[in-house]
Amino acid sequence: MLFLAKAALGMAVALALSAAYVFHEGVIKVDVDEFKGDGSHIHLWVPATAVNLGLEVVPHRNLERAARQVQPFLPALRELAKELKKYPNAQLVDVKDQNEHVQIALVDGKIQIDVVDPQEIIHVRVPVATLEDVADRLESNASTI
Amino acid sequence: MRLSSRGILRTAFTVALASVTLVPAPSLAQNASAPTGDQWIHVRVESKDDGGETVRVNVPVEMAEKILPVINHQNLHNGKVHIDSAHMEDVDLRALLDAVRSSKDGEYVTVQSKENDVRVAKSGGYLLIHVTDKSQGTTNSKSKNHQESKVEIKVPMKVVEALFSAGKDELDVVAALRALSTFGDTELVSVKDSENTVRVWIDSKNIAD
Repeated sequence: MLFLAKAALGMAVALALSAAYVFHEGVIKVDVDEFKGDGSHIHLWVPATAVNLGLEVVPHRNLERAARQVQPFLPALRELAKELKKYPNAQLVDVKDQNEHVQIALVDGKIQIDVVDPQEIIHVRVPVATLEDVADRLESNASTI
Repeated sequence: MRLSSRGILRTAFTVALASVTLVPAPSLAQNASAPTGDQWIHVRVESKDDGGETVRVNVPVEMAEKILPVINHQNLHNGKVHIDSAHMEDVDLRALLDAVRSSKDGEYVTVQSKENDVRVAKSGGYLLIHVTDKSQGTTNSKSKNHQESKVEIKVPMKVVEALFSAGKDELDVVAALRALSTFGDTELVSVKDSENTVRVWIDSKNIAD
């Protein structure tokens, strides 16, 4: 009985620690709803940690190619992510016309991009820390080119 | 058995507490470290056409100061914008600025014509530029939409000095932002015409009014 309890506790601890690790950077959320006939509906919740793990397993040459393409923007992206971490919730950009509404905001440490127009609705939420990690990772690959 | 169960419970409680504490740590840390009293630059553009487009941009001055130096694109390098001297039309901006800086407050340029009114002045440490374009909308002067185009620019002299503090043919945008951040709430640019309203201002709020 005691053995079973210890085993259950061990599993619970492992599960709790895994969950804490997986979600400690937050969640990337992507929602896309297209309103045309065969429009797609995509709803994704991905732990931000998965992006870092994904970058670890991506073939080096692919990462190098991506790094080469975005290299001029990487320092700005890294600096932007570093700076954004310091600020409270804020509406950074808001563009609205008769048909379309685009908003970029900082919400609870995440960059939130919302696009609403008659054809589609897109909501993207990415933790700022993930942006910084991705920029660092790509920059380190760019430096090996 | 009882002692072991209590130990298990205590361990489980500790782990649960640790998990709960670990998960929201980043967001709490971010809110706690949010700088207070920072200056924000706000840009608001409102179009009066049928689409009624509105653009609002709010950027922390300090963030712009940090990011601009790492952007190297076209004429922008290391936070400085290179001005093609060919476009200056032999006007020595630096000498002009020195003259304005060392002069007393007053009106430097006043032009009044049928088409435009232009006023350049220095007052209370600010450089003021007011332009009224009367020609706009004259074809529809009888319609209700007729409106003059007005541009009002009010820039602290210290910011203008910082802007021209770089080498020749260069504008030091980062130095200007740094100087700007030391000022309180300031209305920098206001443009009003029949089609658009543009406002650029600086204050300590992180939202546009």
